[in-house]
Amino acid sequence: MLDADIISLALASGRNLLFADEAGALLKAVGIPVAPCRIGAAEDEAVQAAKEIGFPVVLKVRSQAVVHKTDAGGVRLGLTDEGAVRFAYREIMDKARFLDRGARVTVQPMAPPGVELLVGMTIDPHFGRVVAFGLGGIFVEVLDDIAFRQVPLLAEDAIDMINSIKGSIILKGYRRAAPVDITALMEIILRVSRLAEEEPRIKEIDLNPVFAYPQGALAVDPRIII
Amino acid sequence: MTQISPEGLHSVFYPERVAVIGITDTPERVGYNILRSILYGGFAGKVYPVHPRHEQVLGCKVYKSLDDLPEPVDMAVICLNQYATVEAVESCGCSGVKGVVCNAGGYSETGEDGDELEKRLIAAAEKYGLPIIGPNTLGIINNDANFYSTFYPMRIPAGKVSVVSQSGGVGLTIINLALDEGIGINKFIGVGNCSNLDFADCLDYLENDDSTAVIGVYMEGTRDAGRFVRTAGRVARKKPVVVYKAGRIEGADNYTQTHTGSSAGSFKLYRDILHQHGIFTVNSPSELVAACKALELLPLPGGNRVGILTHTAGPGVVMIDHLAQAGCIIPPLHEETIARVKGIIGADNPPVVLKNPLDAAGLGFSRPTYGGLAEAMLADDHVDLLLAVYCLHETWELPAAELLDAYKKYKKPLIVNFIGNWLGCRADRDFLQSAGIPLFTAPEKTAVAAAALVHYGTKKLEGGASYA
Repeated sequence: MLDADIISLALASGRNLLFADEAGALLKAVGIPVAPCRIGAAEDEAVQAAKEIGFPVVLKVRSQAVVHKTDAGGVRLGLTDEGAVRFAYREIMDKARFLDRGARVTVQPMAPPGVELLVGMTIDPHFGRVVAFGLGGIFVEVLDDIAFRQVPLLAEDAIDMINSIKGSIILKGYRRAAPVDITALMEIILRVSRLAEEEPRIKEIDLNPVFAYPQGALAVDPRIII
Repeated sequence: MTQISPEGLHSVFYPERVAVIGITDTPERVGYNILRSILYGGFAGKVYPVHPRHEQVLGCKVYKSLDDLPEPVDMAVICLNQYATVEAVESCGCSGVKGVVCNAGGYSETGEDGDELEKRLIAAAEKYGLPIIGPNTLGIINNDANFYSTFYPMRIPAGKVSVVSQSGGVGLTIINLALDEGIGINKFIGVGNCSNLDFADCLDYLENDDSTAVIGVYMEGTRDAGRFVRTAGRVARKKPVVVYKAGRIEGADNYTQTHTGSSAGSFKLYRDILHQHGIFTVNSPSELVAACKALELLPLPGGNRVGILTHTAGPGVVMIDHLAQAGCIIPPLHEETIARVKGIIGADNPPVVLKNPLDAAGLGFSRPTYGGLAEAMLADDHVDLLLAVYCLHETWELPAAELLDAYKKYKKPLIVNFIGNWLGCRADRDFLQSAGIPLFTAPEKTAVAAAALVHYGTKKLEGGASYA
């Protein structure tokens, strides 16, 4: 599916928040590495997807009616075999069907843990589109260690913002940890900037977490608001 | 909102004929003082005071209305109340005036009704393509044409620093700090509510104003921060721009909106994005003046390596705290420099540790010794910029002449930090600054001045700035 189609379709069905698979497809199209995300429309399909992705997997509800998936009992982590996937599918769908007849599940791999980072894009009332970068997960709120740059960003802006956060010490290999792939992070930041520039219908991008590894980086739970 | 062209502003800053509308003969009123300011400032053009009921004010004939003037004017200063100002702008437009300063407050900063009134003011001006300075402003000064159009009559030395300020009070603070620091102001623009002339328009104008070499900005908020930072970034490639952004706390809008109707926005975003566009930012009016003074007087250093010469260690410690944060390096001295220093103070002189900062202790009291050490450090090719600290003393003189000699010999940027007060250092300040060497009396100012020079000096190396 083309990027523009994803957004048109979502808008046509009255959605501002893209589904995880749609957000993933948009990001992938501009070259941002995202964890695979498959749709399971039926139990067997979910199982098939899990086998192809490889265990362990994560099942999440995919429904317009469910915004806070975890609160709605719509997230099952660490599913290690076919039985677990089938059981999780039924649990999620039993609840979701009441809310939304069109509910599905998404199947994603359990991404190997890396340094948790955040890359985001938002529209500031003063500066317009800005890209954010910082330590992800709980650190976002606790440390408030985030750098901002105005779209469009140059490569030097991306590097500068990676180096400017206090947490950059962690990225460069703190104690015995290997340094993470700074180039991969820079690429993600620049591509988020480009996507924001090229697709004005996108209002917000939230890649939290991005797992940074010694080689490469991976956006795991992308959220895109249009 | 139509964008104001820099050409349109030329008539405001370099008028030949000016109308002051709303002149009164009461010395505590704005109108009276605008006229006094223009006269006292030595404006060479013609001034036409306008008021329907006065005959003569401050020795000038007062005209009943714009239509009564013997000739058309280039610009008008409107010192009427907020309602009458709107009508005056309309009649200015009709009579071919090219730009106006509107002093009155009572617009968007006061709430909904005021906001509505400001919209009417803007609409009246834009019908005729008139730039409005203000409303809610102290006014403007163009020292390059002796045109002082604020309600604080003054005469200040001309200089190459121009200031754009959203506040009259902070603007006056900056002007007076500049006087204390011994530098002049070229243009002062009180943008006030920025109704149809925003910071970016002022920067556009000053970019091509040949008499302006450095631009200082005091900002609380702007309607189009995106355009402001892009413009500032572009202008800074041609001449240094120094920005002091206030309204930093969460909830700052409480204070900025009732001041100039502007929203302060997120300071974090301002800080990061000004940095992205290569703008040097400061944290107070006195830092703003210190940075502008150094940028006006000195050529830019070739790099970020700062040498410090002193005979008292503490000021160097204070400076380095600031310098390190600004990305400056305190390099080790060259071996040749160490040898040269030993030659000056004697090889076995015990109390002196030979490194950078070079603390000559008591030996540095001697002016010839101090001058020799300054030369040795300026000659060091590890040093891009020298900061020289010396304490004012009742018994001996400051080594101003020695420092000037050293500066002339090596043509490397030198900032002098005499520890004293203006009473004691004034003659030395004037002596050094007339030769292009800035003198400060506080280490934190010296450090900010050095950081500003290094900022634009190293930007130049990266191919960003190239100042003629």
